[in-house]
Amino acid sequence: MRTTNQRSTLPVPPVAPDPWDDLVQEDRVHRRVYTDENIFAREMNNVFAATWVYVAHESEIPEPNDFKLAWLGTRDVIVTRDEESVVRVFSNRCSHRGASVCREQRGNASQFTCPYHGWRFDNRGQLFGIPGKNAYGPTFKARDMHLSRPAQVASYRGFVFATLNPDAPPLVKHLGNAARYMDAWIDYNGGAENLVLAGTQLFRLACNWKLIWDNAGDGYHVPFSHQSLLVMTHARYGGGDMTYFAEADRSKMSNSALDNGHTAIDQRAEMHAESAWQQQRPQPGREPYQDYVAATYGEQAKRVLDTTVGAGMNINIFPNLALIGNQVQVLQPTAVGETVMHWYATRRKDVDAQVNTMRLRTQEDFPVMGEMDDAANFEECQRGLFNHPEDEWVDMSRHYETGKDVAAEDGIIRGLVTTDLHMRNYYAQWKRLMQANPTLCLARGKL
Amino acid sequence: MNTATPSVAQERRYNHQPPSLYVVNAFYDWLVEVSADLAQAVVRDAAAVDAARRHAIAQLLAVESRLLDQGAGAHAAYEHWLTLYAEECAYWIPADSPAPDPRQTISLEFHDRRRLLDRVVRLGTGLAFSQLPASRTARQWSGLEVWSSPGRTDEWRARYSFTLVESRAGHSRVLAGWNGFVLRQIGDRLRIVLKQINLIDNQNPQGNNSFFL
Repeated sequence: MRTTNQRSTLPVPPVAPDPWDDLVQEDRVHRRVYTDENIFAREMNNVFAATWVYVAHESEIPEPNDFKLAWLGTRDVIVTRDEESVVRVFSNRCSHRGASVCREQRGNASQFTCPYHGWRFDNRGQLFGIPGKNAYGPTFKARDMHLSRPAQVASYRGFVFATLNPDAPPLVKHLGNAARYMDAWIDYNGGAENLVLAGTQLFRLACNWKLIWDNAGDGYHVPFSHQSLLVMTHARYGGGDMTYFAEADRSKMSNSALDNGHTAIDQRAEMHAESAWQQQRPQPGREPYQDYVAATYGEQAKRVLDTTVGAGMNINIFPNLALIGNQVQVLQPTAVGETVMHWYATRRKDVDAQVNTMRLRTQEDFPVMGEMDDAANFEECQRGLFNHPEDEWVDMSRHYETGKDVAAEDGIIRGLVTTDLHMRNYYAQWKRLMQANPTLCLARGKL
Repeated sequence: MNTATPSVAQERRYNHQPPSLYVVNAFYDWLVEVSADLAQAVVRDAAAVDAARRHAIAQLLAVESRLLDQGAGAHAAYEHWLTLYAEECAYWIPADSPAPDPRQTISLEFHDRRRLLDRVVRLGTGLAFSQLPASRTARQWSGLEVWSSPGRTDEWRARYSFTLVESRAGHSRVLAGWNGFVLRQIGDRLRIVLKQINLIDNQNPQGNNSFFL
């Protein structure tokens, strides 16, 4: 066995002449970016492998030998916690013929046996058993046949990221000033040690992943796309959730361009102005819960109620992690026109069972009453972009020429909440990545 | 001056009508017990429920499913549909099989009566774009089994297998699984207390299920 890592470098075909300046302009993007299979194939290398991609939350694999399946774009990986509690990420692709070695979404296992020819790997991805090994010669035995590993894996306060790019900057540098927003969100939810993912809702959408990402920082669509929800809430309860989006640009909400394509919408000044809890549409069991909190928490009751509902921030960690309300949304692109969306609910270890139950009932509100309206619109966008090749452009010029996107004292450029700054910011990063010719490495040496 | 003794619900003014006073820990305990019973792989005594009761339950479930099929064309069907449910009811689509405790993990949907009303009103606004055009559905179900709730003479449990074909905007798809029910005699009416929808693919990505399953 070799004791040093042997790395194989993946070829990344150069695209010439450079089309990216034409496709991604300051205030508009070409439709091909959403519809072209070759661009999608390049994205799977240049975006979903060459930069840090979120793969898992440490709370999903709390015990030694726990594992879960994850992905970097269209690449399938296994995320494990090994016997020494170290988080490991390796390809779910047998080094022999390519079959997946693990076919269960999650579980606990110290080893994985490929169902095809019985090759056995430990939960760090290292090959330790080949049936009929005597039939292999010295050339084979000189090769590293462990499951391949991303060049870098790192965790930020429980959020595990990986990249195939050995030259990618350290994760904290990649997160840059978005880390302080993540910190605010994590701390609002009781801190990294208390945050636990609590199940997932999965949706398949017939659209390019970027149509979903475009919306992740869109403070403009709310009163239109979610009109049914606003009308219903007004008719039944005289107002409530999201009404402050009606005249969004006069609100105190903001939209921030952060480092490396990350962005954030901050709704806290409106949502938490008086009480986030009062803003929330009613959940099953709301009234007895309110009484319980009042009786149990005394002066802290308002704070507990407010922390039961959304954090009032939408934090978008490019390219695939969004912290929305109290939920964690992850995008899994599966084809140029198809994306799987994962909505993870969250619980907290530092609050009681009633609080956690009400978090779940709160989190179940929007997917069926709001998200599906968004999804229908994204799918219609995809159809429109695909079916009208002569209509070339997707617009992102809102507040581009109004001078309202300005640098704040902390150096972060912020705009009114309906600005397209989010798209302009992430597309600048997307273009940088697509223009690059990154090194993508797979490590498959013995650990 | 009103000297009548007001009920607790009348005494307090709730901002959100009807108040959801019943979704408390005891209700969840009951749901978990019912859920395990509905999913049990056992042979039940088919004769334990008399034919008249069995017929009444089959009839109610046929109406329940037919009204949902009619909802796309006539919104009033949803209002009639809701009258089949008890005031204290649950409509639950677990995100896994067997259904996990809804206090511990997220469901695809978990609605009390109030949220069912929210959803009916939302669909009636004509602005729910996920249902423009509306999903037309045709439900087929069979294999109805009915048994008594343990220790009760006014409550029954039931399950059947279903396929649901949906057509929306020129595309059709099939949803399948089994539904579990709790039905209770309340006054002179038999009403639905629980509908638990167990999709065979509830762990896998879902499409636009913004109509009622």
